[in-house]
Amino acid sequence: MLRAILASITISVLLGLLSPLINMKGLAFLTHALFHALLFGAVLGMILGLVFNNLSLVMAVATLITVLIVLTIAELERLGFSSDSAVGIVASFVAGLTVLGFGVLYKLMAGRPYFPLTENVVSYLTGELFLITRENLLTLTGLGFAILLVLLLFYRDFLYISFDMEGVESYGGRARFYLVLLYVLVGLVGSLIVQSVGLVTLQVVAVLPGAIGLMVSDNLKKVVLTSLLVTLTVQLSSVIIAYFTSIPPSGIATIILGIVYGILLVRK
Amino acid sequence: MVKMKASVEARNLTIYYGKQVALSDVTFQLGASETLLLLGPNGAGKTTLLRTIAGFHTQYTGELLIFGKKPEEAKELVSYVPQSHSLNENVPLTALEVVAMGAIYKRGLIHRKIPPEIEERALKVLSFVGLENVANKLFRNLSGGQKQRVLLARALVSDPKLLLLDEPLSALDPSARAEVTSVLDRIKKKKNIAMIITTHDINPLLEIGDKVMLINRRMIAFGKPDEALTDEIIKSVYGPMARAIKVEERLYCITGDFHIHVRRDRK
Repeated sequence: MLRAILASITISVLLGLLSPLINMKGLAFLTHALFHALLFGAVLGMILGLVFNNLSLVMAVATLITVLIVLTIAELERLGFSSDSAVGIVASFVAGLTVLGFGVLYKLMAGRPYFPLTENVVSYLTGELFLITRENLLTLTGLGFAILLVLLLFYRDFLYISFDMEGVESYGGRARFYLVLLYVLVGLVGSLIVQSVGLVTLQVVAVLPGAIGLMVSDNLKKVVLTSLLVTLTVQLSSVIIAYFTSIPPSGIATIILGIVYGILLVRK
Repeated sequence: MVKMKASVEARNLTIYYGKQVALSDVTFQLGASETLLLLGPNGAGKTTLLRTIAGFHTQYTGELLIFGKKPEEAKELVSYVPQSHSLNENVPLTALEVVAMGAIYKRGLIHRKIPPEIEERALKVLSFVGLENVANKLFRNLSGGQKQRVLLARALVSDPKLLLLDEPLSALDPSARAEVTSVLDRIKKKKNIAMIITTHDINPLLEIGDKVMLINRRMIAFGKPDEALTDEIIKSVYGPMARAIKVEERLYCITGDFHIHVRRDRK
Protein backbone atom coordinates (compact mmCIF):
# COMPACT_ATOMS: atom_id res chain seq x y z
CA MET A 1 0.00 0.00 0.00
CA LEU A 2 2.80 2.44 0.94
CA ARG A 3 4.61 1.74 -2.33
CA ALA A 4 1.35 2.31 -4.23
CA ILE A 5 0.85 5.65 -2.49
CA LEU A 6 4.44 6.78 -3.14
CA ALA A 7 4.12 5.76 -6.80
CA SER A 8 0.81 7.64 -7.03
CA ILE A 9 2.40 10.81 -5.68
CA THR A 10 5.26 10.61 -8.21
CA ILE A 11 2.85 9.91 -11.08
CA SER A 12 0.60 12.77 -9.97
CA VAL A 13 3.42 15.31 -9.92
CA LEU A 14 4.61 14.27 -13.38
CA LEU A 15 1.16 14.14 -14.97
CA GLY A 16 -0.05 17.22 -13.11
CA LEU A 17 2.71 19.31 -14.66
CA LEU A 18 2.72 17.68 -18.07
CA SER A 19 -1.03 17.52 -18.63
CA PRO A 20 -1.61 21.30 -19.10
CA LEU A 21 1.20 21.31 -21.70
CA ILE A 22 -0.35 18.33 -23.49
CA ASN A 23 -3.60 20.29 -23.72
CA MET A 24 -2.09 23.65 -24.63
CA LYS A 25 0.22 22.24 -27.31
CA GLY A 26 -2.56 20.01 -28.62
CA LEU A 27 -0.71 16.76 -28.00
CA ALA A 28 -3.74 14.63 -27.08
CA PHE A 29 -3.33 12.80 -30.37
CA LEU A 30 0.35 12.22 -29.57
CA THR A 31 -0.69 10.44 -26.37
CA HIS A 32 -2.80 8.21 -28.61
CA ALA A 33 0.37 7.37 -30.57
CA LEU A 34 2.01 6.75 -27.23
CA PHE A 35 -0.54 4.01 -26.58
CA HIS A 36 0.54 2.22 -29.77
CA ALA A 37 4.23 2.89 -29.16
CA LEU A 38 4.16 1.55 -25.61
CA LEU A 39 2.13 -1.50 -26.56
CA PHE A 40 4.47 -2.32 -29.43
CA GLY A 41 7.49 -1.67 -27.18
CA ALA A 42 6.05 -3.88 -24.47
CA VAL A 43 5.28 -6.72 -26.89
CA LEU A 44 8.75 -6.50 -28.41
CA GLY A 45 10.25 -6.30 -24.91
CA MET A 46 8.28 -9.38 -23.85
CA ILE A 47 9.44 -11.31 -26.91
CA LEU A 48 13.05 -10.38 -26.15
CA GLY A 49 12.46 -11.00 -22.44
CA LEU A 50 11.25 -14.50 -23.25
CA VAL A 51 14.05 -15.21 -25.69
CA PHE A 52 16.74 -13.97 -23.31
CA ASN A 53 14.93 -15.07 -20.16
CA ASN A 54 15.11 -11.56 -18.72
CA LEU A 55 11.81 -9.76 -18.09
CA SER A 56 13.49 -6.53 -17.00
CA LEU A 57 14.08 -5.96 -20.71
CA VAL A 58 10.39 -5.11 -21.13
CA MET A 59 10.56 -1.61 -19.68
CA ALA A 60 13.89 -0.74 -21.32
CA VAL A 61 12.72 -1.88 -24.75
CA ALA A 62 9.33 -0.17 -24.36
CA THR A 63 11.04 3.10 -23.39
CA LEU A 64 13.51 2.92 -26.26
CA ILE A 65 10.80 2.10 -28.82
CA THR A 66 8.55 4.87 -27.48
CA VAL A 67 11.29 7.48 -27.67
CA LEU A 68 12.19 6.35 -31.20
CA ILE A 69 8.54 6.58 -32.24
CA VAL A 70 7.98 10.10 -30.82
CA LEU A 71 11.23 11.20 -32.50
CA THR A 72 9.92 9.80 -35.80
CA ILE A 73 6.70 11.78 -35.34
CA ALA A 74 8.72 14.95 -34.62
CA GLU A 75 10.83 14.32 -37.73
CA LEU A 76 7.75 13.83 -39.91
CA GLU A 77 6.42 17.15 -38.61
CA ARG A 78 9.74 18.78 -39.49
CA LEU A 79 9.37 17.43 -43.01
CA GLY A 80 6.08 19.28 -43.31
CA PHE A 81 3.44 16.76 -42.21
CA SER A 82 0.79 18.14 -39.89
CA SER A 83 0.95 16.85 -36.33
CA ASP A 84 -2.22 14.78 -36.82
CA SER A 85 -0.99 13.26 -40.09
CA ALA A 86 2.40 12.40 -38.58
CA VAL A 87 0.74 10.66 -35.61
CA GLY A 88 -1.75 8.91 -37.92
CA ILE A 89 0.95 7.55 -40.22
CA VAL A 90 3.19 6.33 -37.40
CA ALA A 91 0.36 4.98 -35.22
CA SER A 92 -1.15 2.89 -38.03
CA PHE A 93 2.25 1.46 -38.96
CA VAL A 94 3.07 0.67 -35.33
CA ALA A 95 -0.40 -0.84 -34.74
CA GLY A 96 0.26 -3.28 -37.59
CA LEU A 97 3.65 -4.20 -36.15
CA THR A 98 2.06 -4.73 -32.72
CA VAL A 99 -0.43 -7.26 -34.11
CA LEU A 100 2.43 -9.09 -35.83
CA GLY A 101 4.38 -8.93 -32.55
CA PHE A 102 1.46 -10.46 -30.64
CA GLY A 103 1.45 -13.34 -33.14
CA VAL A 104 5.13 -14.01 -32.43
CA LEU A 105 4.60 -13.59 -28.68
CA TYR A 106 1.70 -16.08 -28.57
CA LYS A 107 3.80 -18.66 -30.43
CA LEU A 108 6.69 -18.18 -28.00
CA MET A 109 4.35 -18.37 -25.00
CA ALA A 110 2.69 -21.51 -26.32
CA GLY A 111 6.04 -23.18 -26.75
CA ARG A 112 7.29 -22.07 -23.39
CA PRO A 113 4.46 -21.29 -20.92
CA TYR A 114 5.61 -18.51 -18.65
CA PHE A 115 3.05 -17.43 -16.07
CA PRO A 116 4.66 -14.15 -14.81
CA LEU A 117 4.79 -12.91 -18.42
CA THR A 118 1.02 -13.27 -18.71
CA GLU A 119 0.69 -11.13 -15.58
CA ASN A 120 2.98 -8.61 -17.19
CA VAL A 121 0.78 -8.32 -20.30
CA VAL A 122 -2.27 -7.68 -18.15
CA SER A 123 -0.47 -5.14 -15.96
CA TYR A 124 0.53 -3.23 -19.08
CA LEU A 125 -3.06 -2.92 -20.18
CA THR A 126 -4.83 -2.06 -16.93
CA GLY A 127 -1.97 -0.99 -14.67
CA GLU A 128 -1.08 -2.70 -11.44
CA LEU A 129 -0.19 -0.13 -8.86
CA PHE A 130 -0.31 -2.64 -6.00
CA LEU A 131 2.17 -4.97 -7.72
CA ILE A 132 4.85 -2.33 -8.00
CA THR A 133 8.15 -3.64 -6.67
CA ARG A 134 10.71 -1.75 -4.62
CA GLU A 135 13.01 -1.61 -7.67
CA ASN A 136 10.20 -0.34 -9.87
CA LEU A 137 9.42 2.35 -7.32
CA LEU A 138 13.06 3.44 -7.16
CA THR A 139 13.21 3.64 -10.96
CA LEU A 140 9.92 5.55 -11.06
CA THR A 141 10.94 8.12 -8.45
CA GLY A 142 14.56 8.48 -9.65
CA LEU A 143 13.75 8.91 -13.32
CA GLY A 144 10.60 10.83 -12.42
CA PHE A 145 12.67 13.36 -10.47
CA ALA A 146 15.06 13.81 -13.41
CA ILE A 147 12.14 14.31 -15.83
CA LEU A 148 10.51 16.73 -13.41
CA LEU A 149 13.69 18.80 -13.26
CA VAL A 150 13.90 19.07 -17.06
CA LEU A 151 10.19 19.83 -17.26
CA LEU A 152 10.51 22.68 -14.76
CA LEU A 153 13.63 24.11 -16.39
CA PHE A 154 12.05 24.28 -19.85
CA TYR A 155 8.43 24.95 -18.86
CA ARG A 156 8.42 28.54 -20.20
CA ASP A 157 10.04 27.44 -23.45
CA PHE A 158 7.40 24.74 -23.83
CA LEU A 159 4.71 27.37 -23.26
CA TYR A 160 6.24 29.66 -25.85
CA ILE A 161 6.46 26.95 -28.54
CA SER A 162 2.86 26.05 -27.75
CA PHE A 163 1.85 29.69 -28.24
CA ASP A 164 3.88 30.45 -31.36
CA MET A 165 6.44 27.92 -32.57
CA GLU A 166 7.44 30.05 -35.54
CA GLY A 167 7.79 33.09 -33.30
CA VAL A 168 10.28 31.26 -31.06
CA GLU A 169 12.27 30.31 -34.15
CA SER A 170 12.19 33.78 -35.65
CA TYR A 171 13.41 35.38 -32.42
CA GLY A 172 16.43 33.07 -32.29
CA GLY A 173 15.04 30.25 -30.12
CA ARG A 174 15.73 26.59 -30.86
CA ALA A 175 12.07 25.79 -31.40
CA ARG A 176 12.71 22.37 -32.93
CA PHE A 177 14.88 21.34 -29.96
CA TYR A 178 12.17 22.36 -27.47
CA LEU A 179 9.50 20.48 -29.45
CA VAL A 180 11.57 17.29 -29.67
CA LEU A 181 12.42 17.57 -25.97
CA LEU A 182 8.75 17.94 -25.07
CA TYR A 183 7.83 14.92 -27.22
CA VAL A 184 10.60 12.85 -25.64
CA LEU A 185 9.45 13.86 -22.14
CA VAL A 186 5.87 12.85 -22.97
CA GLY A 187 7.20 9.51 -24.26
CA LEU A 188 9.42 8.96 -21.22
CA VAL A 189 6.67 9.80 -18.74
CA GLY A 190 4.34 7.44 -20.60
CA SER A 191 6.76 4.54 -20.50
CA LEU A 192 7.67 5.26 -16.87
CA ILE A 193 4.11 5.22 -15.55
CA VAL A 194 2.42 2.78 -17.90
CA GLN A 195 2.78 -0.23 -15.61
CA SER A 196 1.14 1.73 -12.82
CA VAL A 197 -1.66 3.54 -14.65
CA GLY A 198 -2.20 1.09 -17.52
CA LEU A 199 -2.19 1.53 -21.29
CA VAL A 200 -5.96 1.59 -21.57
CA THR A 201 -6.31 4.59 -19.29
CA LEU A 202 -3.03 6.39 -20.01
CA GLN A 203 -4.51 8.87 -22.49
CA VAL A 204 -7.29 9.87 -20.09
CA VAL A 205 -5.03 10.48 -17.09
CA ALA A 206 -2.58 12.38 -19.31
CA VAL A 207 -5.16 14.68 -20.88
CA LEU A 208 -8.04 15.29 -18.46
CA PRO A 209 -6.25 16.90 -15.46
CA GLY A 210 -4.84 19.64 -17.69
CA ALA A 211 -8.17 20.05 -19.47
CA ILE A 212 -9.85 20.48 -16.07
CA GLY A 213 -7.19 23.01 -15.01
CA LEU A 214 -7.70 25.03 -18.19
CA MET A 215 -11.44 24.92 -17.68
CA VAL A 216 -11.40 26.30 -14.13
CA SER A 217 -8.83 29.07 -14.54
CA ASP A 218 -7.24 31.54 -16.93
CA ASN A 219 -4.16 31.97 -14.78
CA LEU A 220 -1.27 29.68 -15.70
CA LYS A 221 -0.14 29.05 -12.11
CA LYS A 222 -3.70 28.15 -11.11
CA VAL A 223 -4.08 25.91 -14.16
CA VAL A 224 -0.94 23.94 -13.23
CA LEU A 225 -1.88 23.88 -9.53
CA THR A 226 -5.40 22.64 -10.33
CA SER A 227 -4.00 19.97 -12.62
CA LEU A 228 -1.57 18.86 -9.88
CA LEU A 229 -4.25 18.81 -7.18
CA VAL A 230 -6.75 16.98 -9.38
CA THR A 231 -4.20 14.32 -10.35
CA LEU A 232 -3.00 13.91 -6.77
CA THR A 233 -6.50 13.69 -5.30
CA VAL A 234 -7.78 11.32 -7.96
CA GLN A 235 -4.71 9.05 -7.87
CA LEU A 236 -4.62 8.80 -4.07
CA SER A 237 -8.36 8.33 -3.66
CA SER A 238 -8.40 5.66 -6.37
CA VAL A 239 -5.59 3.79 -4.56
CA ILE A 240 -7.56 3.88 -1.31
CA ILE A 241 -10.85 2.84 -2.96
CA ALA A 242 -9.06 0.12 -4.93
CA TYR A 243 -7.44 -1.18 -1.71
CA PHE A 244 -10.85 -1.84 -0.19
CA THR A 245 -12.76 -2.89 -3.31
CA SER A 246 -10.11 -4.81 -5.30
CA ILE A 247 -11.02 -2.87 -8.44
CA PRO A 248 -7.96 -1.74 -10.47
CA PRO A 249 -7.12 1.84 -9.34
CA SER A 250 -6.54 3.03 -12.91
CA GLY A 251 -10.18 2.28 -13.74
CA ILE A 252 -11.40 4.18 -10.69
CA ALA A 253 -9.12 7.16 -11.48
CA THR A 254 -10.38 7.33 -15.05
CA ILE A 255 -14.03 7.21 -13.99
CA ILE A 256 -13.54 9.94 -11.35
CA LEU A 257 -11.69 12.15 -13.85
CA GLY A 258 -14.41 11.60 -16.44
CA ILE A 259 -17.13 12.51 -13.93
CA VAL A 260 -15.30 15.69 -12.78
CA TYR A 261 -14.67 16.79 -16.36
CA GLY A 262 -18.25 15.97 -17.37
CA ILE A 263 -19.70 18.00 -14.46
CA LEU A 264 -17.49 20.98 -15.32
CA LEU A 265 -18.46 20.71 -18.98
CA VAL A 266 -22.18 20.64 -18.16
CA ARG A 267 -21.85 23.57 -15.73
CA LYS A 268 -20.02 25.57 -18.38
CA MET B 1 29.02 60.32 -49.20
CA VAL B 2 28.55 56.87 -47.64
CA LYS B 3 26.01 54.79 -49.51
CA MET B 4 23.38 53.36 -47.14
CA LYS B 5 23.07 49.59 -47.39
CA ALA B 6 19.71 48.37 -48.70
CA SER B 7 17.53 46.53 -46.19
CA VAL B 8 16.37 44.07 -48.83
CA GLU B 9 17.81 43.36 -52.25
CA ALA B 10 16.17 40.78 -54.50
CA ARG B 11 17.37 39.92 -57.97
CA ASN B 12 15.46 37.49 -60.20
CA LEU B 13 14.07 35.85 -57.10
CA THR B 14 11.89 32.82 -57.77
CA ILE B 15 10.37 30.95 -54.84
CA TYR B 16 9.32 27.31 -54.94
CA TYR B 17 7.21 24.92 -52.91
CA GLY B 18 8.65 21.58 -53.95
CA LYS B 19 8.81 21.74 -57.74
CA GLN B 20 5.97 24.24 -57.98
CA VAL B 21 6.78 27.90 -58.53
CA ALA B 22 5.03 30.02 -55.90
CA LEU B 23 6.36 33.40 -57.00
CA SER B 24 8.69 34.30 -59.87
CA ASP B 25 10.91 37.08 -61.17
CA VAL B 26 10.95 39.38 -58.19
CA THR B 27 13.55 42.12 -58.42
CA PHE B 28 13.56 45.09 -56.08
CA GLN B 29 15.62 47.06 -53.62
CA LEU B 30 14.35 48.61 -50.39
CA GLY B 31 16.19 51.35 -48.48
CA ALA B 32 17.24 50.96 -44.84
CA SER B 33 14.37 53.01 -43.49
CA GLU B 34 11.80 52.62 -46.24
CA THR B 35 8.38 51.04 -45.93
CA LEU B 36 7.12 48.69 -48.63
CA LEU B 37 3.45 47.78 -49.00
CA LEU B 38 3.14 44.34 -50.53
CA LEU B 39 -0.14 43.93 -52.38
CA GLY B 40 -1.89 41.22 -54.31
CA PRO B 41 -5.00 39.05 -54.28
CA ASN B 42 -5.33 35.95 -52.09
CA GLY B 43 -2.79 33.30 -53.05
CA ALA B 44 -0.62 35.83 -54.90
CA GLY B 45 2.48 34.88 -52.88
CA LYS B 46 2.62 37.77 -50.40
CA THR B 47 3.10 35.64 -47.28
CA THR B 48 5.49 33.37 -49.19
CA LEU B 49 7.71 36.33 -50.07
CA LEU B 50 7.56 37.61 -46.50
CA ARG B 51 8.46 34.22 -45.03
CA THR B 52 11.33 33.85 -47.49
CA ILE B 53 12.73 37.23 -46.49
CA ALA B 54 12.29 36.19 -42.82
CA GLY B 55 14.40 33.10 -43.50
CA PHE B 56 11.62 30.59 -42.79
CA HIS B 57 11.40 29.40 -46.37
CA THR B 58 14.63 28.57 -48.14
CA GLN B 59 13.55 27.08 -51.47
CA TYR B 60 14.40 29.82 -53.91
CA THR B 61 16.68 30.70 -56.80
CA GLY B 62 18.11 34.10 -57.64
CA GLU B 63 19.61 36.47 -55.13
CA LEU B 64 18.09 37.64 -51.87
CA LEU B 65 20.10 39.73 -49.42
CA ILE B 66 18.99 41.26 -46.13
CA PHE B 67 21.38 44.07 -45.18
CA GLY B 68 23.91 42.32 -47.41
CA LYS B 69 23.46 38.90 -45.77
CA LYS B 70 21.56 35.76 -46.68
CA PRO B 71 18.14 35.63 -44.94
CA GLU B 72 19.13 32.75 -42.64
CA GLU B 73 22.21 34.73 -41.52
CA ALA B 74 20.25 37.94 -40.96
CA LYS B 75 17.62 36.64 -38.55
CA GLU B 76 18.92 38.86 -35.74
CA LEU B 77 18.14 41.94 -37.83
CA VAL B 78 14.63 40.89 -38.75
CA SER B 79 11.39 40.64 -36.78
CA TYR B 80 8.40 38.86 -38.24
CA VAL B 81 4.87 39.64 -37.11
CA PRO B 82 2.54 36.78 -38.09
CA GLN B 83 -1.19 37.06 -38.58
CA SER B 84 -2.60 37.04 -35.06
CA HIS B 85 -5.00 34.17 -35.80
CA SER B 86 -2.01 31.86 -36.34
CA LEU B 87 -1.23 31.99 -32.61
CA ASN B 88 -2.45 29.42 -30.10
CA GLU B 89 -4.44 31.45 -27.60
CA ASN B 90 -5.14 28.40 -25.43
CA VAL B 91 -1.82 29.19 -23.80
CA PRO B 92 -2.60 31.68 -21.03
CA LEU B 93 0.28 34.12 -21.54
CA THR B 94 0.09 37.75 -20.43
CA ALA B 95 0.81 40.62 -22.83
CA LEU B 96 4.14 41.16 -21.04
CA GLU B 97 5.14 37.52 -21.45
CA VAL B 98 4.29 37.66 -25.16
CA VAL B 99 6.43 40.78 -25.65
CA ALA B 100 9.33 39.32 -23.63
CA MET B 101 9.35 36.39 -26.02
CA GLY B 102 10.83 38.73 -28.64
CA ALA B 103 13.98 39.33 -26.58
CA ILE B 104 14.39 36.29 -24.36
CA TYR B 105 15.82 34.04 -27.09
CA LYS B 106 18.79 36.26 -27.79
CA ARG B 107 20.64 34.34 -25.08
CA GLY B 108 20.74 30.91 -23.50
CA LEU B 109 18.81 27.72 -23.99
CA ILE B 110 16.79 27.65 -20.78
CA HIS B 111 14.41 30.52 -19.96
CA ARG B 112 12.74 29.61 -16.70
CA LYS B 113 12.09 33.23 -15.76
CA ILE B 114 11.94 36.50 -17.67
CA PRO B 115 15.08 38.46 -16.66
CA PRO B 116 14.30 41.87 -15.06
CA GLU B 117 16.09 43.85 -17.80
CA ILE B 118 14.00 42.14 -20.48
CA GLU B 119 10.87 42.79 -18.44
CA GLU B 120 11.86 46.46 -18.27
CA ARG B 121 12.41 46.62 -22.03
CA ALA B 122 9.13 44.85 -22.65
CA LEU B 123 7.29 47.40 -20.50
CA LYS B 124 8.98 50.26 -22.34
CA VAL B 125 8.01 48.95 -25.74
CA LEU B 126 4.46 48.22 -24.54
CA SER B 127 4.32 51.86 -23.55
CA PHE B 128 5.56 52.82 -27.05
CA VAL B 129 2.57 51.04 -28.59
CA GLY B 130 0.26 52.61 -25.98
CA LEU B 131 -0.43 49.46 -23.99
CA GLU B 132 1.46 49.84 -20.73
CA ASN B 133 -1.82 49.38 -18.83
CA VAL B 134 -2.48 45.87 -20.19
CA ALA B 135 0.95 44.36 -19.42
CA ASN B 136 -0.46 41.82 -16.96
CA LYS B 137 -3.65 41.05 -18.84
CA LEU B 138 -3.97 37.78 -20.70
CA PHE B 139 -3.19 38.12 -24.41
CA ARG B 140 -6.30 36.17 -25.37
CA ASN B 141 -8.53 38.60 -23.46
CA LEU B 142 -7.31 41.65 -25.40
CA SER B 143 -9.16 43.22 -28.31
CA GLY B 144 -8.03 42.51 -31.88
CA GLY B 145 -6.27 45.88 -32.18
CA GLN B 146 -4.54 45.43 -28.81
CA LYS B 147 -3.35 41.95 -29.77
CA GLN B 148 -1.86 43.30 -32.98
CA ARG B 149 -0.12 46.09 -31.03
CA VAL B 150 1.27 43.54 -28.54
CA LEU B 151 2.68 41.58 -31.48
CA LEU B 152 4.22 44.78 -32.83
CA ALA B 153 5.75 45.39 -29.39
CA ARG B 154 7.12 41.83 -29.39
CA ALA B 155 8.70 42.49 -32.78
CA LEU B 156 10.21 45.78 -31.63
CA VAL B 157 11.63 44.64 -28.30
CA SER B 158 14.70 43.13 -29.96
CA ASP B 159 15.48 46.39 -31.85
CA PRO B 160 15.21 44.93 -35.36
CA LYS B 161 16.36 46.72 -38.50
CA LEU B 162 13.65 45.20 -40.66
CA LEU B 163 10.07 44.56 -39.61
CA LEU B 164 7.96 42.12 -41.61
CA LEU B 165 4.22 42.36 -41.01
CA ASP B 166 1.76 39.83 -42.39
CA GLU B 167 -1.70 41.39 -42.80
CA PRO B 168 -1.56 43.56 -39.67
CA LEU B 169 -4.97 45.05 -40.41
CA SER B 170 -6.86 41.88 -41.28
CA ALA B 171 -9.98 41.01 -39.29
CA LEU B 172 -9.89 44.33 -37.42
CA ASP B 173 -12.78 46.75 -37.10
CA PRO B 174 -12.23 50.32 -38.37
CA SER B 175 -11.26 51.77 -34.99
CA ALA B 176 -8.78 48.94 -34.32
CA ARG B 177 -7.38 49.45 -37.82
CA ALA B 178 -6.86 53.11 -37.03
CA GLU B 179 -5.08 52.18 -33.74
CA VAL B 180 -2.69 49.83 -35.51
CA THR B 181 -2.10 52.22 -38.42
CA SER B 182 -1.21 54.98 -35.98
CA VAL B 183 1.34 52.70 -34.23
CA LEU B 184 2.86 51.77 -37.62
CA ASP B 185 3.10 55.46 -38.41
CA ARG B 186 4.85 56.06 -35.06
CA ILE B 187 7.30 53.23 -35.76
CA LYS B 188 8.11 54.74 -39.14
CA LYS B 189 8.70 58.19 -37.69
CA LYS B 190 10.59 57.27 -34.53
CA LYS B 191 12.38 53.98 -35.13
CA ASN B 192 14.03 54.61 -38.48
CA ILE B 193 13.74 50.99 -39.59
CA ALA B 194 12.59 49.28 -42.78
CA MET B 195 9.16 47.67 -42.91
CA ILE B 196 7.45 45.33 -45.35
CA ILE B 197 3.71 45.11 -44.83
CA THR B 198 1.40 42.74 -46.67
CA THR B 199 -2.14 44.00 -46.83
CA HIS B 200 -5.47 43.76 -48.56
CA ASP B 201 -6.49 47.09 -47.13
CA ILE B 202 -4.04 49.42 -48.81
CA ASN B 203 -5.72 52.79 -48.39
CA PRO B 204 -5.13 53.32 -44.65
CA LEU B 205 -1.46 52.42 -45.16
CA LEU B 206 -0.72 54.47 -48.28
CA GLU B 207 0.35 57.36 -46.06
CA ILE B 208 3.27 55.40 -44.62
CA GLY B 209 4.25 53.40 -47.72
CA ASP B 210 7.33 54.74 -49.49
CA LYS B 211 7.10 51.96 -52.06
CA VAL B 212 4.45 49.51 -53.17
CA MET B 213 4.79 46.17 -54.89
CA LEU B 214 1.98 44.38 -56.66
CA ILE B 215 2.38 40.66 -57.08
CA ASN B 216 0.26 37.87 -58.44
CA ARG B 217 2.50 34.80 -58.65
CA ARG B 218 5.05 37.17 -60.21
CA MET B 219 6.06 40.75 -59.66
CA ILE B 220 3.73 43.02 -61.61
CA ALA B 221 4.75 46.46 -60.40
CA PHE B 222 7.16 48.07 -57.97
CA GLY B 223 7.78 51.72 -57.22
CA LYS B 224 6.39 54.78 -55.47
CA PRO B 225 2.63 54.44 -54.87
CA ASP B 226 1.67 57.19 -57.34
CA GLU B 227 3.78 55.62 -60.06
CA ALA B 228 3.17 51.93 -59.46
CA LEU B 229 -0.53 51.91 -58.68
CA THR B 230 -1.92 52.91 -62.04
CA ASP B 231 -5.50 52.20 -63.01
CA GLU B 232 -4.30 49.74 -65.63
CA ILE B 233 -2.13 47.74 -63.22
CA ILE B 234 -4.79 47.64 -60.51
CA LYS B 235 -7.31 46.30 -63.05
CA SER B 236 -4.84 43.68 -64.30
CA VAL B 237 -4.49 42.27 -60.78
CA TYR B 238 -7.92 42.76 -59.21
CA GLY B 239 -10.19 42.64 -62.29
CA PRO B 240 -12.02 45.18 -64.44
CA MET B 241 -14.08 46.62 -61.56
CA ALA B 242 -10.97 47.69 -59.65
CA ARG B 243 -9.83 51.28 -59.93
CA ALA B 244 -7.10 53.62 -58.79
CA ILE B 245 -8.50 57.10 -58.27
CA LYS B 246 -7.16 60.39 -57.00
CA VAL B 247 -9.15 62.60 -54.69
CA GLU B 248 -7.54 65.97 -53.90
CA GLU B 249 -4.17 64.65 -55.09
CA ARG B 250 -4.40 61.63 -52.79
CA LEU B 251 -4.41 58.15 -54.30
CA TYR B 252 -7.11 55.63 -53.40
CA CYS B 253 -7.47 52.07 -54.64
CA ILE B 254 -10.88 50.49 -55.01
CA THR B 255 -11.10 46.74 -55.37
CA GLY B 256 -13.46 44.15 -53.93
CA ASP B 257 -11.22 43.91 -50.87
CA PHE B 258 -10.40 47.57 -50.35
CA HIS B 259 -12.17 50.27 -48.40
CA ILE B 260 -11.69 53.98 -48.70
CA HIS B 261 -10.46 55.82 -45.64
CA VAL B 262 -10.43 59.58 -45.82
CA ARG B 263 -7.51 61.13 -44.01
CA ARG B 264 -8.35 62.69 -40.68
CA ASP B 265 -6.85 66.06 -41.65
CA ARG B 266 -9.05 66.35 -44.76
CA LYS B 267 -12.32 68.10 -44.30
